[in-house]
Amino acid sequence: MPRIQSVQLKVGLEVHVELATRTKMFSRCPSPAHPEFDGAEPNSLIDPVVLALPGALPVMNRAAIEMAMMVGLALNCSIAERTKWDRKSYFYPDLPKGYQISQYDLPLCFDGAVDVPATDDKGFIIPDAEPARIGIIRAHLEEDAGKLLHEAPGGGAIDFSIVDWNRAGTPLLEIVTQPDFTHADQVLSFARMLRNICRFLGVTEGIMQKGHIRFEPNINTILTLDDGRTATTPITEVKNLNSFKALRGAIEHELREQPRRWLGDGREMGAGQKRTMGWDDARQQTSIQREKEDAHDYRYFPDPDLLPVVISRAWRDEVAARLPELPLARQKRYMEMYALAAKEAAALVEERDVCLLCEAAIDAMQRRGMDAPRAGRAAANFILQSGAKRANERDVLISDLGITGDEIAQIALLREEGKLSAAGADELFGILCEPGRPPAGAATLGVPERDVETLAGDRGLLIIRDDAALDRWCDEVIAKNDKVAADVRAGKAAAIGRLVGEVVKLAAAQGQRVDAKVVRDELAKKLGVSEPRR
Amino acid sequence: MSAAQHGAASAGTGECLCRIHQLNPTLNAFISVLPDPSPATSGPLTGFTVAVKDNLCFADHSNTPTTAGSRILTNYKSPFTATAVQRLIDAGATIVGKTNLDEFAMGSTGENSAFGPTRNPWDLDRIPGGSSSGSAGAVAAGLVRIALGSDTGGSIRQPAGMCGIVGLKPTYGRVSRYGLIAYASSLDQVGPMARTVADAAAALTVISGPDPLDSTCADQPVPDFTRDLDRPVEHLTIGVPRQARNEANNPDVAVALEAAIETYRSLGAAVIEVDLPHTEHGIAAYYIVALAEASSNLARFDGVRYGRRTADPKDLMDLYARSRAEGFGPEVQRRIMLGTYILSAGYYEAYYTTALKVRRLIKRDYDAAFGTPCDAILMPTSPRPAFRLGERVNDPLAMYLEDVYTVGVNLAGLPAIAFPAGFSRVGMSRLPIGMQLIGPAWQEARLLRAAQMFESATQFHTQVPPCAESDTR
Repeated sequence: MPRIQSVQLKVGLEVHVELATRTKMFSRCPSPAHPEFDGAEPNSLIDPVVLALPGALPVMNRAAIEMAMMVGLALNCSIAERTKWDRKSYFYPDLPKGYQISQYDLPLCFDGAVDVPATDDKGFIIPDAEPARIGIIRAHLEEDAGKLLHEAPGGGAIDFSIVDWNRAGTPLLEIVTQPDFTHADQVLSFARMLRNICRFLGVTEGIMQKGHIRFEPNINTILTLDDGRTATTPITEVKNLNSFKALRGAIEHELREQPRRWLGDGREMGAGQKRTMGWDDARQQTSIQREKEDAHDYRYFPDPDLLPVVISRAWRDEVAARLPELPLARQKRYMEMYALAAKEAAALVEERDVCLLCEAAIDAMQRRGMDAPRAGRAAANFILQSGAKRANERDVLISDLGITGDEIAQIALLREEGKLSAAGADELFGILCEPGRPPAGAATLGVPERDVETLAGDRGLLIIRDDAALDRWCDEVIAKNDKVAADVRAGKAAAIGRLVGEVVKLAAAQGQRVDAKVVRDELAKKLGVSEPRR
Repeated sequence: MSAAQHGAASAGTGECLCRIHQLNPTLNAFISVLPDPSPATSGPLTGFTVAVKDNLCFADHSNTPTTAGSRILTNYKSPFTATAVQRLIDAGATIVGKTNLDEFAMGSTGENSAFGPTRNPWDLDRIPGGSSSGSAGAVAAGLVRIALGSDTGGSIRQPAGMCGIVGLKPTYGRVSRYGLIAYASSLDQVGPMARTVADAAAALTVISGPDPLDSTCADQPVPDFTRDLDRPVEHLTIGVPRQARNEANNPDVAVALEAAIETYRSLGAAVIEVDLPHTEHGIAAYYIVALAEASSNLARFDGVRYGRRTADPKDLMDLYARSRAEGFGPEVQRRIMLGTYILSAGYYEAYYTTALKVRRLIKRDYDAAFGTPCDAILMPTSPRPAFRLGERVNDPLAMYLEDVYTVGVNLAGLPAIAFPAGFSRVGMSRLPIGMQLIGPAWQEARLLRAAQMFESATQFHTQVPPCAESDTR
């Protein structure tokens, strides 16, 4: 018996993305993947088409086609000039018609590729590392099935099954990659990137727990044996993984198990050898669902109820023109335009709405006269520091804190003008995030938005530039702390911090706010040392 | 007595219901009779009594079921109404009932109904044709003025021919299929049946036109088909396919065909011979396409959401198998099994793909014939008049072959109108013989005018079946 010298992982990924159209793929029934109808009562999002009542007919939702085209274009796919709908037949209680409408041999999008950046285990992009090119075989549209439940609502035991058809008919985009992944990290990096792209495109909220995006990795391994031969283990398809953790877990589990299974049964990849597994989250392992996946006969044939879809050049171009700048491109731009660090830029593009808030703040700063690098730097700082801190406390997205881009810009400008201290700016940021404030854009509803400078003044955060008083306080502090002052004069630059603190305290005792930076400059001048600008 | 006098054409709704109660126990044309049909609105069809084939969903006020003639839907009540039916209602028609049919429109005799066979008003021992059996019988017996049928391979025209009435199969896409319980989606089309061409034209005008609920329903302008109906088609050229002068035709049918040709000649039409070389292959192609689609369309009747469910299934597979075995009749089961086989891996190319090729050839045959040029193609609706109940039940293949003159039209998606064109005397009975005119796509208006020319020149449409005559009003 030869021994295994090395194990090479090989993974191809199928991804199902529920498109957040208002109505379902083939009916006017509201769709649960749209935020407005999320969490609807079971079996409330149904109509004759969804339930496959006798006489009901499907009618294609153009919005779903356009969303699918956007994803395809973002993945550098070709878009079919002509595509069609096929029926995939099988019986199951969650499948109302006895067939699923899908696309068999003419997928809407095909032959794409994306470069997946190398990332660390937290998902942050490692700059300068070589990206991996992942081929996209196809991306086609189909409809989702309902949900079969084996417990009563609330969790009671029942000896039958119940079906919720709300999800049935929701548009699903199935993206199939080439088996180009060689490491679990790559798969995860691709999965995160794909989710982010879809969110930027606005085709899904991408909430994993709600099943908006589901992963089905096809996993096998190539074993190099000590006699020089190689063996390829049978493919395992793991169904319906709806978290990044489960995706990683399933791949790593199979990477460990497949060589062991091969040693046990010697089975290699081939017809009839593919297995379909489920993922047991509690036990962190895969479990068999069915063997011989490829033995199924789905009796595909073109759906006579639906017309073929012709995608004109003009339609394709019109959809392409609507593509927003994608996250990876934005990240690169932030690094170039605003001189942000790779990690900062990556953090800013991680969530679409946070990214858009940041860009709104930058725009507003530039409108108010700041140049691009300073605006980018200031916006990044506020969002990744003041914003992240409060978002963590309240467990919401930074974009959901309530502060607007324009307000962030106003804070940044007050700070630039020396009217706010760093601490004051952060405090003001916090005030502007307090619940109960008029919502962003309230002015358009007739509610006056509060001017940020007035608000800062009301809360006593504004620095009063009283040069005479500052001069007096500095002199007083230097006189009282002559030893420290001497240290500073002698070149112990760090010691100046203590003097600054004393001045701030003294001012505060008189009900005044001073900017630490201004104080520092003033003290340095008086002590005859040049403070490097920070 | 003339057609204009007899039956519901001139009768009020009350009288119509009275006739139904009198004759339906014999004819079995209706599955449901609506106790209190009153039109909700007035329109071009005000005063018209109408029956609809029971494979058209109709959420009526009396909450009667929509059965498709099947045990599996015996108690199924549709929550919505088919577009074609709704348009009749909106035009002021009085819908009085739902008519009997071969289960899921699969059959050409009416004998495949879970609700018993419909009888031919001209001879109660004979079939009325099918699958729109009840609609044809009800119109022929004067129980209603108009009925809706559906035509997948001849299901409007063949029973119209056997019952001596007018039946129109519109161009595929002319009438919405929304609410028509699908048999074969690429072939099914809803159409009117009536005693006169004018009534068929009136109904077609109302039910035609695009429908956002059916993407295969075309965005074609709908003329008023009743306008200019009496104006003869100028320089009418009628094509008669070589293949229609078939020695397999019943002699009376052959005579009626030549007589119809003579009638058109006498009206100034030119009659030419055309060739439809793939007619014979039409039957095979039709049954492959239709059964493949049927096997898929009927998968939804699984006992899970509605319809018949078997008692105490032992597991999921048992639930499916027994619900369907108990719910579907033998002909439907046969067609589902054949269709499933046709679509199976390894057979799909040989059967389905080949059938689609034949379908294209048949369409090309018709295009070539119309390009000869001719305005319409004339041929019988079936090779034989109505046969006796039970005569062919055990020979499905022979039964399928009877569809030779009708299925090509569905494969090509063309419009065709059947009309009464003679009688065959068998013993004590006179059995109607039907002819059909087939036209290019969207040319229903010309077909109706050409049929009207024939009707105006002949008396076949004024004949009344004996069971309707004996009725005393």
